[in-house]
Amino acid sequence: MDFKAILTEALKSRKFQFAIVALVFVTVLPLFVRSPYLVGHVFMSMIIFALYASSWNLLAYSGQGSLGHAAFLGIGGFASALVAIRLGVPPIVGLFIGGLLSAGLGLLVGLACVRLKSWFLAMVTFGFSIIIVTIVSEFDDVFGGMIGFATPSFLPQVLPFYYGTLAIVTSSIVAIFWVMKSKWGFAFKAIRENELEAKMIGINTAKYRLLAFIISTFFAGLAGGLLAESQLFIQNDIFSAENSFLPLIMAVIGGLGTIEGPIIGSIIIVSIDSFAPLAYPLLQPLNPLFPGVSTVGPSLQFVGLGLFLIVVVIFLPKGITSLLHKLYDYLREDETKKVKEK
Amino acid sequence: MKLTSMIPLTISSGLAQALLFGVVNGCIYILLATGLNLIFGVMKLVNFAHGELLMVGAFVAYEVTTIAGLNPYVSILVSMGAVALIGILLEKFAFRKVRGTEKLNEIFISLGLIYVFQNLATLLWVENYNIQIPSPLSGLSLPLGEVLLSYDRILAIVIVIVILIGLVLLTKKTKIGLAMRATSQKSDAAMLMGININRVYTFTFAVGAALAGAAGALYGIILPFNPAIGALPTIKAFAIIILGGLGSIPGAVIGGLLYGIAENATGYLTNGTWQDAVAFALLIIVLVIRPTGLFGEKGE
Repeated sequence: MDFKAILTEALKSRKFQFAIVALVFVTVLPLFVRSPYLVGHVFMSMIIFALYASSWNLLAYSGQGSLGHAAFLGIGGFASALVAIRLGVPPIVGLFIGGLLSAGLGLLVGLACVRLKSWFLAMVTFGFSIIIVTIVSEFDDVFGGMIGFATPSFLPQVLPFYYGTLAIVTSSIVAIFWVMKSKWGFAFKAIRENELEAKMIGINTAKYRLLAFIISTFFAGLAGGLLAESQLFIQNDIFSAENSFLPLIMAVIGGLGTIEGPIIGSIIIVSIDSFAPLAYPLLQPLNPLFPGVSTVGPSLQFVGLGLFLIVVVIFLPKGITSLLHKLYDYLREDETKKVKEK
Repeated sequence: MKLTSMIPLTISSGLAQALLFGVVNGCIYILLATGLNLIFGVMKLVNFAHGELLMVGAFVAYEVTTIAGLNPYVSILVSMGAVALIGILLEKFAFRKVRGTEKLNEIFISLGLIYVFQNLATLLWVENYNIQIPSPLSGLSLPLGEVLLSYDRILAIVIVIVILIGLVLLTKKTKIGLAMRATSQKSDAAMLMGININRVYTFTFAVGAALAGAAGALYGIILPFNPAIGALPTIKAFAIIILGGLGSIPGAVIGGLLYGIAENATGYLTNGTWQDAVAFALLIIVLVIRPTGLFGEKGE
């Protein structure tokens, strides 16, 4: 099939049309919403975490659920910032160096994990993130310790950086989509469904599990670099357990194993994170009920988040995405009915 | 490690003290690990929120001791009962719903539970500071050569031993224990033999949770605690299961003691910074060499 045929084929696909509309939307959005906080912080976090959650999602696509992905996010962030500051590498190149270094360490962790079942693997990745944060905190003359240090960004803030990030993230997610739909993606899926059977039909499971690890950690590192550059600042709390759990929560709530799931999840979770504090004053009357805290807002928010995750896993195993698909099908059915009636 | 400032210690006696404390910490880990091991062995369920039950147990014991004025060692029983009740609810309304689906779903559910428990505990009890269960024995210690061991810690070891003996008797000598063992070997066959699998699962989860509750009460008597203490012990308990092998109580005892001692010794020798990192590094090395754990069997 030549390029033109692929393009016409793609243009017909409803998903592709949605993607184009969404892309146009996020491109023109900052031209209308002029608040630097919304563009530079909220929208930027959504975009960067969409990539980070997608990278986690790709790893889970091969049946490997990491509980320590923040290690790779942080390595990417620190490496990209350090090579830019210490060695004078242009920040845009630093981003990719960060990604490659993260992928290199991802290869090592992947090698350790290649024979492990899901929950042993979860433990090893979690342990790895603890080891990394200990090392980074210990050598605080290099890594800045609790205080952190300022990082350069590869384009000036806010708008140029926004579009640069959007371009990098979009092409990365397209690459992830391509991997998921390629022969590799089929191998990942086969391993996730049943590793023994995958082996029996001749898939080199170790190779593909490692590939998933390398690709996923590369993009996690890239996301880490972007995160550091977007905040103009990095400190060792980038390795927090919360950052390890967030991509998981985003991917699961959005829709595990789909390309749009982590993106939708990132939009939902970042929105909750950014806009829930606006509702805190409304919760003020509840304060006397809870003696443990000075203000109930943040804790209630996280209780809600936990319950949300549990409810989605139990009642919507395919995430919010499946709900949107159903809604879309329902609307289309209505349309076809109307057409038929006419 | 308050003791080090009170009496001048040589390096060797300081290390001995750390090792002794390691044994006590190990005992708490053993309770947590056997509970997890039981749940995993019978239900093939991985509950990363198990440590949150420990945390809840500590707070329940604290409430019972400070408000109702009960002896802290009696409060252990209350805490076991309360946490077992929570366990029953969790099994019925959360974990049962995803049984038989993908393994990752259990990890997701337990992650959600971690968020819920930690933040609820923060709302109900304390935010940023540590509390400790007041014990009538606090401050009293038994001198053992150059080192001191408080009576609270000695009692903790005794209680753990008693609970473990009770657990062995429960699984080996009772009818429900037989049903649990049968279910753990082959749940389908057990069901065909007329065992009510759901009831066995609920009971198993309740027992595992009760062990975590006891571990929590003991933790609260020995060490200061806050709503965030649950996360690391869970991972350590998993490490112990991996070291000691799945489904084996003696394995968990050996693994727990080894882990507690190794952790406290590294903590002592490196001022606490490398404590967790070294423990996890060892764990990863063990898993790389033996993917099913030190004494683990083939299979899951």
